[in-house]
Amino acid sequence: MSGEVLVEARGVVKSFPGVWEHLILDHINFDVRAGEVHALLGENGAGKTVLANILSGFYTLTSGQIYVRGKPVHFKSPFDAIKNGIGMVHQEFTLVPSLTVVENIALMLRKHNPLSYPLKEVRERTLELSERYGLKIEPDRLVEHLSLGEKQRVEILKVLYWEPDVLILDEPTSVLTIDEARELFKILRRMAEEGKGVVFITHRIEEIMAVADRVTVLRLGRKMGTFKVSEVGKDELLRLMIGEMEPVRYERGRSVEWGRVVLEVRDLHVLSDDGREAVKGVSFEIHEGEILGIAGVSGNGQRELAEAITGLRKASRGRIRLMGLDITNKPAGEIAKLGVRHIPEERRRMGVVEPMCLAENMIIREYKEKTFSTAGVIKSKVITEHSKRLVERFKILTPDIWDTEVRILSGGNIQRLILARELWKGPKLLVAFHPTYGLDLKAVTHTHQHFMELRQKGAAILLISEDLEEIFLLSDRIAVMLDGRIVGTLGAREATPEKIGHMMAGVGAS
Amino acid sequence: MVSKKIRKILYRLAESLLAVGIGFLGGAFLMLLYGYDPITAYRALLTGAFGDISGIYETLSFATPLILTALTFGICVRSGLFNIGAEGQMYMGAIGAVMIGGAMSLPAGIHAATATLFAMLLGGLWSIPVSILKITRNVHEVVSTIMLNWISFWLVTYLITYQLTDPMRAERAVPAQETARYTVIGASLTTIFPVVIAFTLLIYFIVWRTTLGYELRLVGYNPEAARYAGISIPRAVVMSFLLGGLAAGLAGASQVLGRPPSWTVYATLGNLVNLGFEGIGVSLIGRNHPIGIIFAAIFYGGILHGGRFMEFEAGVASELVRAINGIIIVALAIPELLSMVSGVVKRRRGKEVEAG
Repeated sequence: MSGEVLVEARGVVKSFPGVWEHLILDHINFDVRAGEVHALLGENGAGKTVLANILSGFYTLTSGQIYVRGKPVHFKSPFDAIKNGIGMVHQEFTLVPSLTVVENIALMLRKHNPLSYPLKEVRERTLELSERYGLKIEPDRLVEHLSLGEKQRVEILKVLYWEPDVLILDEPTSVLTIDEARELFKILRRMAEEGKGVVFITHRIEEIMAVADRVTVLRLGRKMGTFKVSEVGKDELLRLMIGEMEPVRYERGRSVEWGRVVLEVRDLHVLSDDGREAVKGVSFEIHEGEILGIAGVSGNGQRELAEAITGLRKASRGRIRLMGLDITNKPAGEIAKLGVRHIPEERRRMGVVEPMCLAENMIIREYKEKTFSTAGVIKSKVITEHSKRLVERFKILTPDIWDTEVRILSGGNIQRLILARELWKGPKLLVAFHPTYGLDLKAVTHTHQHFMELRQKGAAILLISEDLEEIFLLSDRIAVMLDGRIVGTLGAREATPEKIGHMMAGVGAS
Repeated sequence: MVSKKIRKILYRLAESLLAVGIGFLGGAFLMLLYGYDPITAYRALLTGAFGDISGIYETLSFATPLILTALTFGICVRSGLFNIGAEGQMYMGAIGAVMIGGAMSLPAGIHAATATLFAMLLGGLWSIPVSILKITRNVHEVVSTIMLNWISFWLVTYLITYQLTDPMRAERAVPAQETARYTVIGASLTTIFPVVIAFTLLIYFIVWRTTLGYELRLVGYNPEAARYAGISIPRAVVMSFLLGGLAAGLAGASQVLGRPPSWTVYATLGNLVNLGFEGIGVSLIGRNHPIGIIFAAIFYGGILHGGRFMEFEAGVASELVRAINGIIIVALAIPELLSMVSGVVKRRRGKEVEAG
């Protein structure tokens, strides 16, 4: 623990001018010592991955200085970092599926005969490394046949091949089963025992308790402190990670009688893109005039849940009913026709068609309806009128309706466009995913007002958000999603940020 | 608000004119290099292509099939597909026109119409395997269309050589009968030209004014958003290839039913070969837009037809004429090619930004 300082970051600042106005990393000091596992804890957007990418040469820093064994260094590329003994295992895999394990590792080599890779040599060394660290792999299998845990071991071996002194792992447990994660922790401990420094990025406090020696907490680009794990409590870490928060709630006006059940989800299972089970048996219902908030760190199955409900992704098991009607695995268009609307997570990618104009974007849902087209011919006059009305009502700032591509609209106006399109007709169910992410205060308030109005009219809203304040502000009930399951549901009155925070971080029931 | 649209069109026109200028300069440079007089040559080209009425007829006749094969490419670009199958679909259309127009007897009027529609149908059918392979097996359309182009080439060659041979002249298929021919307007231009223009305007209408066209464009611009809107992507793919196939089939028909003096197809397919591929260039010059394509095809036709006069009157070697044509065409295609490439790059980058 009191080993030599291998890598040190002093006063590191990272900004993405033009994209983000605030600093992504705000004067961060961080160090890794030989023989320790140093955890980086924080919510999404806290800057953990950015810091790791700076330490491993993937990003350049805006200001500040990195030292390796006390000497200042300037990394221009990941290979500079590798030469200085720093290797990183990314969250996303970078393997070629149609090649074997050994061939994948050989791809990393820089100096070799251009016509052939020294596969025999690589194979021997891979086996030796896998023996030494207990990273079980079969060197000749094709990567496409490996499980996620196995793929990750290959990624780790790829980095270990360079004999790094410091190994950085970005959210390595997010793709692993519990057993695989335990196995990984053993491997990390073994590396630390060998005198390597290990940086372990996570948002799960339990995992830090299980494997780390020290922990540094980041929140929104600021460092909240570095602690010895043996000297800090879970609650303390949680508080530092999510911050103190006074829940504010909307005046609910006349209390809306919860009417009939609008959406009923029973034992829903959904697979993610990579074939992993992302939603693992979720059940809930939402009533007329109710907002159900789903809290949780993203990547815990929220996206797959929203897509299954809106028909964009197939459910592998379970039932979804809308007003009693089974809509499981119905096509997206049909579900939309039944009165389900969706504010998608990725606005610009899914929510709008950037090269089209505002008017054409406005009719994505209803272009086939008689109002907007007859016998397959689009009624542009009606659409013009319709768009003008919505532009006014939802205060969308746009130069015109037909001539400008919506690409040039600001994020807030894109979101207003989506809101207008999804809400004007008064949906029965609204699935809203991160509806105010990245918006300014005015746009946030505007969105929230529309939600409350919709609720007052008796619609059901499924609000999925990482923003706890927003969840508390709007929800009638709050459910927490962790690892594909709903780990608890609380009424708005009984829910406190502490209780929800505990559930989100997977810290035992409280 | 209209002014903004006009400004955009003018800007594109200026871009194209600049490209033409650069192309002509490049060609001139080439001619100077080989000791020809570019001024005389270009004058010959322009007067040959547009100088008198018969020149214009000939130019439009050259343009006719190119408008259609360009549409095949252009429609699919709108749906994000890279369709280079016009060539094979056009062969199928031509042989379809021979089957009805040459090998069957029908009353005048009905004959030409039936032969034309049958040609379009065959062209359309030839696009179906492309869609099926793409949708069920995820085979990229570039691969499948190239394969189908060759299959079509040899199938049609076989049909001409063994089944539909002209009894008088074995090197070609039976010519279209009088009843199946479009009326000659002048030179080798026939009344199929206005038919082609009408078809092009119809395509324009479909792509920009109908729900089908809306779906096609939506899928092309952003498949994710199309899924979100509940549009069936396979259906859009089929429709896009099908419309393209119909256009290419009509291109084939135009060379049999609408082009004197041969009114048929040679066993070498010599009067068809490459019209499909040249359509890609024409589409790029016309910014993959139906109206742009009409003008681009006429320009292209003018270069092809007028190019011969560079040879006759300025004595430029015919190989060099082709090289000069090539330079002009490439220069013209560059603006749209660049914007297509930058579109792809932007989309990729966009993904990275969202992922990061």
